[in-house]
Amino acid sequence: MFQDLPPPPPAYEAPAPEQTVATASEVRVAAALTDAQIKVDTGFSGASIVLYGAVFNPTDVPADVVLVVRGPDATVRLVKKTRHNGVWLNSRPVVFEGAPGFYMTASTRPLPDVADFGQMRRLGVGVDHLRINAPEEATTVTRYGVRDVVISRLGEDYLDWRRAVIRLKETAGLYKNNPDGVSFVDRGLFRAEVDLPATAPTGTYFAEVWLFQEGAPVSVSNLTLTVEKVGLERSIYQFAHRNPWMYGILCVFLAAGIGYAASRIFRDR
Amino acid sequence: MDIYLPIAEVSVNWPLLMLLGATVGFVSGLFGIGGGFLMAPILVFMGIPPTVAVASQASHVVASSTSGVIRYSVMKGVDYKIGGIMAAGGVFGALVGVELFRYLRLLGQADLVVAVSYLIFLGSIGSMMVFESLTKILQRVRGETPPRKERRRPMWLYGLPFRMRFPRSGLYISAIPPIGLGIFAGILSAIMGVGGGFILVPAMLYVLRMKANVVVGTSLFQIIVTTAVTTILQAGRNQTVDIVLSMILLLGGVIGAQYGARLSGRFRAEEMRAALGFIVLLVGIQMGLELFVRPSELFLMAPGVGN
Repeated sequence: MFQDLPPPPPAYEAPAPEQTVATASEVRVAAALTDAQIKVDTGFSGASIVLYGAVFNPTDVPADVVLVVRGPDATVRLVKKTRHNGVWLNSRPVVFEGAPGFYMTASTRPLPDVADFGQMRRLGVGVDHLRINAPEEATTVTRYGVRDVVISRLGEDYLDWRRAVIRLKETAGLYKNNPDGVSFVDRGLFRAEVDLPATAPTGTYFAEVWLFQEGAPVSVSNLTLTVEKVGLERSIYQFAHRNPWMYGILCVFLAAGIGYAASRIFRDR
Repeated sequence: MDIYLPIAEVSVNWPLLMLLGATVGFVSGLFGIGGGFLMAPILVFMGIPPTVAVASQASHVVASSTSGVIRYSVMKGVDYKIGGIMAAGGVFGALVGVELFRYLRLLGQADLVVAVSYLIFLGSIGSMMVFESLTKILQRVRGETPPRKERRRPMWLYGLPFRMRFPRSGLYISAIPPIGLGIFAGILSAIMGVGGGFILVPAMLYVLRMKANVVVGTSLFQIIVTTAVTTILQAGRNQTVDIVLSMILLLGGVIGAQYGARLSGRFRAEEMRAALGFIVLLVGIQMGLELFVRPSELFLMAPGVGN
């Protein structure tokens, strides 16, 4: 029934060839980000980071570069609107685990041309191969006193739900697939852009730069990137979460104060 | 011109937000209402998560009501005694409402309940206002004299225990109806992010039959207390109050409210009520439509778990 589920966790490290000892005859990829620390402040409206990389390719076999950026995992709760007696109502939420809060791929060619389906699934490259799962068994979790049926009887609809998760994330600009996002600026030198929308979650992001030759991965380079709130944004966010009651009281006093001030200022005019 | 809101976690155009605050403030000053019912749908339309929108605009209501109460207090238009009793009910209602909202949010049904409440309350109040004021306007145009209204309070008001005197309102009634009214407004305040003035004012006027000159001031006073408690509870329990968002809104709001209040003297009461009734009705229908129209996207993300 769940034959469409992605296979067990791919061993990311396994297919990577030995890259520790760099010899002149080896095909290798190396990359760096222009900015590995994104600061979210008051003026933050998304960020664009450039990734530069080099392919050390002494052979004449054409190489493809695939960039994968994966944000911190965020559990997704999805509801579906269904019609009952002419009224559109929400179904019970279904929880999907393992969905990254941000996911993008960029490549020199469309992903199906770079390597076949099985290869990509094994490496977990591409939105279709994300391991976004809802547990098969119906489990009931109680959160904050609310009975939450994590999943049950999705069965045939499972793919619809899974596609909806991806579609909604794509609409929000959080999942992207750019088949010509990696471009070679010179022989062996390539660049790609990573666009983070303002809604990108904070946390640690992992970037993988894969090098493919003849449909098989030959080298990988791993990078990390952090997105964090700084300055006033950080202080407000932390205040609101660490000391929520004081924060609320402060909000009320500020509001009442402004209301009072306004009535004073405008009184005589 | 974009500003990143730390709690809502979205980036919005702040002059536009301030303009929205000013417009809603203008409407609220013009009609003597909180204007919360207008604000929430527009904020959601701008891309702010509904839960943050509802919680943050409550503090906007605090600000506009504060300047209103000060204005009415000078004119001796606030009955603090009955207002205090209603506020006590309002605090209890807000407690219940915030927990209810939290529960519904986790159930994924919060937006449904918000839509239904908007449809029911705004729809019924709006049509009543339109009907009543249009009848009056028609009578005036035709030169008829309005039939004498029955000025008696419903008898059950006298059958209840705990009777108290409220000299300013000219009442000697049981404390139970004002408390009940307060509880009801408190629940609405938490779920719809509104002050509840559009329910309180007619109820105080037509059911309790308070003196007309203290009705608006007293309802504003009760609204301050209720929405202040709602804001604190939303911040404390749900962490959904965005202080940056509410500050931008209320800076625009207090300015707009002053100009609205100044303009309000130029219109007749029935015409104002008819106009307000139409706005209320439109918002109610607009919010309710989503229950009956096939949505373009069948799936939607339900907030919860992480935040």
